[in-house]
Amino acid sequence: MSNPKRCAACKSLRRRCSKDCVLAPYFPSNDPQRFAYVHRIFGASNISRMLMQIPVDQRAEAADSMSFEAKSRVKDPVYGCVAVIGQLYQQISAVQRELAKTQGQLAIYTAQQEQQMVSTQGYYGEPSWLGGVNAIQPNTFHFNQQSLMDLLRLRDNI
Amino acid sequence: MGGTSPCASCKLLRRRCAKDCIFAPYFPSDDPHKFAIVHKVFGASNVSKMLQELPIHQRGDAVSSLVYEANARVRDPVYGCVGAISYLQNQVSQLQMQLAVAQAEILCIQMQHEPTMPTHHQIDHHDHEKSLFLHDTLNSIPQYFNFGNSSNVIQDPLKRESLWT
Repeated sequence: MSNPKRCAACKSLRRRCSKDCVLAPYFPSNDPQRFAYVHRIFGASNISRMLMQIPVDQRAEAADSMSFEAKSRVKDPVYGCVAVIGQLYQQISAVQRELAKTQGQLAIYTAQQEQQMVSTQGYYGEPSWLGGVNAIQPNTFHFNQQSLMDLLRLRDNI
Repeated sequence: MGGTSPCASCKLLRRRCAKDCIFAPYFPSDDPHKFAIVHKVFGASNVSKMLQELPIHQRGDAVSSLVYEANARVRDPVYGCVGAISYLQNQVSQLQMQLAVAQAEILCIQMQHEPTMPTHHQIDHHDHEKSLFLHDTLNSIPQYFNFGNSSNVIQDPLKRESLWT
C-alpha cells in the first residue's frame, strides 16, 4: 500500500510514493522547492543512488549538503558553492597576513620591553626593583583586564 | 575526411562527437577522469543543460567548479563541498582568535608603557577599535552551518593546489 501523502520527490516525478521511498524522509511534501533544486542539478536518480550508498544515519546530513549545493548552484550557475570556498581562502590569506604583521609588531614590542628592563638596572647590574636611577614605576593604575586576560589565557588552548 | 578524436564525454557516452559538441572544449580526450567524475555526480544531461544556459565565456569556470564539487562529493559522499566550507570556516575562526590574542598582548604591553593613567572610557574605545577588524571579518561571510564531524571530512580541501584543476 502506498503512502497516501506523497513526498516532494514523488509528487514532482508523478509517481507512487512507496512506504520505503528513499527520498521521502529528506524531501517532505511541504518543501517542494528543496527537491526541485536537487532534481535540477543532480537529478532524482543520482540523488537516490548517492543516498543509498550512504549509511542511513548519515543520509539526512547528506541530503542537507546536497540541497545546499544544489541551491547554491541554481543561484550562482557559474561557481555554485565553490564561490564560498574561494571567499574563505581569501579571508584566510587576509587574516594570516594581519596575524603575521601583528606578531611582528609584538616581537618588536617585546624586544623593546626587554631592552628597557635591562637599561633600568643599576650601575652594578642590580635589578631595577632595588632602585636604579631609571627604575620602572610600579603599576599604579587599575583597569578591567578581565577581557584581555581571558584572551591571553586562550593562548594556551590554541 | 580527417576526424579529430572524440572528446572524453562522447567517448564515455559512446556517441559521435559532433563539431559543436558542447562538452568538447572542456573535456578533452586526454583527461577522461574529469568528465567521468562530473557525469557520476551530476549526470551528463544535467551538465549539458547547465552549460547551455550559460554564455560561452563563463562555461570554462562553470566546468571547473563542477569538477571541483564532483571531486569533493566523491571524496566525502556525506558532506561534499560543504565539508570543505565547514573546515575552512573553522580555520578562519582559529586564525581570528590567534589574531585577537596577539592584538591583546600588544595592547597589554602598550598599556604598561602608557605614561598617563588611561581611563575606562579610553580603554573601551581602544578595545573597540581593535575589535573592529575582528567584527568586520567575522561578519563579512555568514556562518553557513555547523555540520557534524564526518569521518570522511576533507582535512585540507585543496592541499595548496590551485582551486581549478
